[in-house]
Amino acid sequence: MTSDLKVVLPGDLISVNNESDESSMNVDDDVPLVRLGPGLTQVQEDIVSMKAGVLKHQDPGNKWWLESNQRRYVAATGESVIGIVVARLAEYYRVDIGGAQAAILPVLAFEGATKKNKPNLVPGTLVYARISLANKDMEPELQCFNPSSGKADGYGELKGGFVIRCSLGLCRRLLNPETPILRFLGEHFPFETAVGMNGRIWVNSENPQYTILLANAVKNSEYLSEAQCKAMVESLIDKL
Amino acid sequence: MKRSDGRTEPSQLRAFAASQSLLNRADGSAKFSFGESTVIASVVGPAEVKIRDEKMDEATVEVIVRPAVGFPSTKDKLLERALRQTVEPTILAGMMPRTLIQIVVQIVQEDGNMLSTAVNAISLAMLDAGLPMNSLAAAVSAIIDQEGNLLLDPNSKELENASSVHTFAFDNTTSYNLLLSHCIGTYSQEQYLDCLDACKHASERVHSFIRTAVEKRIEKEYQQLQSS
Repeated sequence: MTSDLKVVLPGDLISVNNESDESSMNVDDDVPLVRLGPGLTQVQEDIVSMKAGVLKHQDPGNKWWLESNQRRYVAATGESVIGIVVARLAEYYRVDIGGAQAAILPVLAFEGATKKNKPNLVPGTLVYARISLANKDMEPELQCFNPSSGKADGYGELKGGFVIRCSLGLCRRLLNPETPILRFLGEHFPFETAVGMNGRIWVNSENPQYTILLANAVKNSEYLSEAQCKAMVESLIDKL
Repeated sequence: MKRSDGRTEPSQLRAFAASQSLLNRADGSAKFSFGESTVIASVVGPAEVKIRDEKMDEATVEVIVRPAVGFPSTKDKLLERALRQTVEPTILAGMMPRTLIQIVVQIVQEDGNMLSTAVNAISLAMLDAGLPMNSLAAAVSAIIDQEGNLLLDPNSKELENASSVHTFAFDNTTSYNLLLSHCIGTYSQEQYLDCLDACKHASERVHSFIRTAVEKRIEKEYQQLQSS
């Protein structure tokens, strides 16, 4: 499997047209349509990578993107993040999401919030929120409800538990329901997690011992293979 | 020809060594060494910038050099300036307006060639930080000694006997653009061009070393996904 990892560095030219199929052909002319995702950019006639990562391709739609890992969060619309309220102002909360600037969370951006009935969050509160607006020239904006349903859908204040910091790549991996580490841990005891795309993971369980174990196990799982994850979880459980 | 540290060729570089992500709290970090010369670079950013340094349309790039012992001197300030001018054009600063990219270079061990070691360490640290970049810088130094010989990657002993010292950095695009040309001493045009040529060839080796280092690291990261 290792052989089909195509690692690219910044400045590498990416050839995207050699394996384009009929379905990706634009009807008007014979130029194949290419969709570029994160990490790739167009410089005149060429497609150039901007980061070090693995080149990925999806045939339907002829999509190309780079999968890379980093620790600093750059806000993107629609992503779920874990933030810490740092200030409370009249119209909004200022929330630290680990990016270059603090994000804005309007006090009315909660499920069922009105001018009369708004949530009261004190500085230091953890919130699980969705990025509703992200632009490189502006502060990101957050909301604590699902815009398609208007319901909270799990967004909002996170009570209790513990937050750990990790790389963005690990967070992305944890969102995959097949992730070995969460599956192995789940075989032993029940727990709750909220994974923010900004490199923060909130974990909670019925007792602090389990919560500490969870935090350590998740943090250490980044560079372990599936078998190693299993061994680590078992040795941690044995020590309890 | 035998060189003071046992190398047999004037064009021979000292052994490279590199590691990435060694610092916990920085967004990206790397250690790079040419033989005994070792540097640790860390990158923080895009982060919040002081209003005084804020640029409305691009990121502010700041390079800080910390010597192995004592306080930063004039020499370190010169190094900071050369490093910033080398790496700034490789960063796509326009994608991160009103932010700060802070690069800290800690000299660990000095045995000549600090400028080129630092450029390579910064390149690796920026890759680790995942900053958007249009290319990657790699640098190599050369000297012309008193006898007129061209020696690549000089150590501190050889530098004492140098009549001129040259450091060049190149990017990794197909046109191999020159990013830095830093020369001290007296030399002829011919000697300059010889050094430029020799460093260009040697920097290709540094580039391929950086590529291998990054590939190995990413493959390690992916092993979990592949086994599952």
